[in-house]
Amino acid sequence: MILRQLVIRQGQRALIFPASQRWIRSLNTEIGKTDVTQKNKTHEVDLDCIGSQTDASATPIEKTEEPSVASAYKTWLNQRSTLGPHYEPHALVNRPPSPKDVTLELLMASQAHLGHATSLWKPQNQRYIFGIHQGIHIISLDITAAHLRRAAKVVEGVCERGGLVLFVGTREGQDRCVVNAAKLAGGCHLFERWIPGSITNGQQILGKCKMKVVDDLDNELEGYEEQLIDRPTLKPDLVICMNPLENYVLLHECGLNGIPTIGVIDTDADPTWVTYPIPANDDSLRCVNLIAGVLGKAGEEGQRRRRAMVLARGYTNQPSDEKTGDTSHRSAIAS
Amino acid sequence: MRAAWLPKLGSQPLPPWISFQRQAPRRPDISLFGATQGFRRGAVVGTRRFATSSTRNGIAAPEISFELKDDQKGIPRYARVVPASPSYFTGKPDFTDNLLSLQELLRKHQTLPAAPPGQVPRIAWKTLAQYRLLVGEPVKASKYHKIILLLQRLNHIHPSLLPEEVKLAMAPYKRDINPHENVANQHTADRFGRVIGVGRRKSSTARVWLVEGDGEVLVNGRPLISTFPRVHDRESAIWALKATGRIDKYNVWALVEGGGTTGQAEALTLGVAKALLVHEPSLKPALRRAGCITRDPRRVERKKPGKLKARKMPAWVKR
Repeated sequence: MILRQLVIRQGQRALIFPASQRWIRSLNTEIGKTDVTQKNKTHEVDLDCIGSQTDASATPIEKTEEPSVASAYKTWLNQRSTLGPHYEPHALVNRPPSPKDVTLELLMASQAHLGHATSLWKPQNQRYIFGIHQGIHIISLDITAAHLRRAAKVVEGVCERGGLVLFVGTREGQDRCVVNAAKLAGGCHLFERWIPGSITNGQQILGKCKMKVVDDLDNELEGYEEQLIDRPTLKPDLVICMNPLENYVLLHECGLNGIPTIGVIDTDADPTWVTYPIPANDDSLRCVNLIAGVLGKAGEEGQRRRRAMVLARGYTNQPSDEKTGDTSHRSAIAS
Repeated sequence: MRAAWLPKLGSQPLPPWISFQRQAPRRPDISLFGATQGFRRGAVVGTRRFATSSTRNGIAAPEISFELKDDQKGIPRYARVVPASPSYFTGKPDFTDNLLSLQELLRKHQTLPAAPPGQVPRIAWKTLAQYRLLVGEPVKASKYHKIILLLQRLNHIHPSLLPEEVKLAMAPYKRDINPHENVANQHTADRFGRVIGVGRRKSSTARVWLVEGDGEVLVNGRPLISTFPRVHDRESAIWALKATGRIDKYNVWALVEGGGTTGQAEALTLGVAKALLVHEPSLKPALRRAGCITRDPRRVERKKPGKLKARKMPAWVKR
């Protein structure tokens, strides 16, 4: 009975699907046959192939011409469907919102309000905490937004005065947003371990890293190579840290050198480690992407204003022309 | 500060023997620009007026003119020192820039179809030491491995669709000589039906000419029995023929040099096997099973200090 079922099932299968190439080849005694079919795969047009298509007994599947990879890809590019509105995971990195577009809804959508379990809190964060929900602290988003805007002003001001901003995010997955933010703000990035002593012992650690001299429009100036050789290494003018918990050494060095710091402070982090805390969830990549993007955008605006000022006034290191009442640079900034 | 190197001129006219030549524009000292903390001293964005009475205007020093004089035209008025690369604070800027540029390239061309595993061109990437020489930074092996993984993924893009910029980006990471293009020469029978095979073992080298025949063997012009007094050596010299049952099908004419009898006999094994493979390629599995194809890489172990030979310790003496 079982045998009969087998024949019924497999017989149907065998009738539906044509004989597969693999076992036909095992019955084939000619050796050269397979080589010919292999050649057809790579070269598109083969006269032998077209000529022998009449006898369908031998190899019915491989005789049909396969398009080349390039033409198949081109066809796919032309024929693929266009997607409607959908979630793009990297939109926050590639097209970050500017500080004025930050809303509480956006912050909540990017999980900025989620803190840590109540037992892990640092009491210094009390003023940033809205309440407790299911055993975790909820960060007050209006304070987050206010602190984020304040930090954005700081970044913008530093960039406007030609300062060097360092974006740091050393956790897994934070590299892209940190690099993008640094690119926008014209600053530096760090997405791997901070080498302890890079500020306090800079000559030993960053001594071989190259520097350059630029003018007020950021064009490189030639002829300073000799002076750059025995010059002390650079220090950042502002450090923005996405995960202060892992970067205590960095923040401590900044404190020793009087470098202001901005940090994303979760409910388990100490807000006194940084100069300008932003109370938010540092464990959510989406939240970190948002904050880094907003600060990067602020830096971009600062750089733009600095260049506009240079173009309007000639150069940045000039007092304002309040006496003469010349406010052309103001209008240039406002535009 | 700008005019510090210019000679100070008095009110009286210059004597005729002094001809004042305008100096070529020199680079001012960058420390004068306050470039360390660029935004603190390098740029004044706005000023406040602290004086309340107009009488102080007469006491104050004359206003500084920021207009450029003719001899100062070539000198930049503002300069600041910035890192050459945004990866300055990583301590390995060149490596980090390389990694980021490759990542960006891969992100751009991620959707291009990949070649099937067998058709990917084999490329030898630079070794860690070569890469360190290239960038001049102490890059760790695990970090360089990230670059290698990116390069391998880029190399998997189908060759017919590989963009030009990817080719250019991969070029500096390739070794100067690609060892995968190095293929062994194919030996063939000459017009007399002879096939040469070369085998080595220990410090011996054997050149073997194998020709179809009736089982004659001549090593250095002498028959096998007078070359190798040991039976075991005679057996291993023609072991490739014996293991495949071809002793009476081929004639062997061989030249062996270097080493001792064992080395010479086993060098012959390899030489005969290689020549036999040219005559009958289908014998390869049988010869592999007989152990005739693999070159034995062992050499004499070196003598060490404090030992009598390679490992032999001197006899223990009480004192």
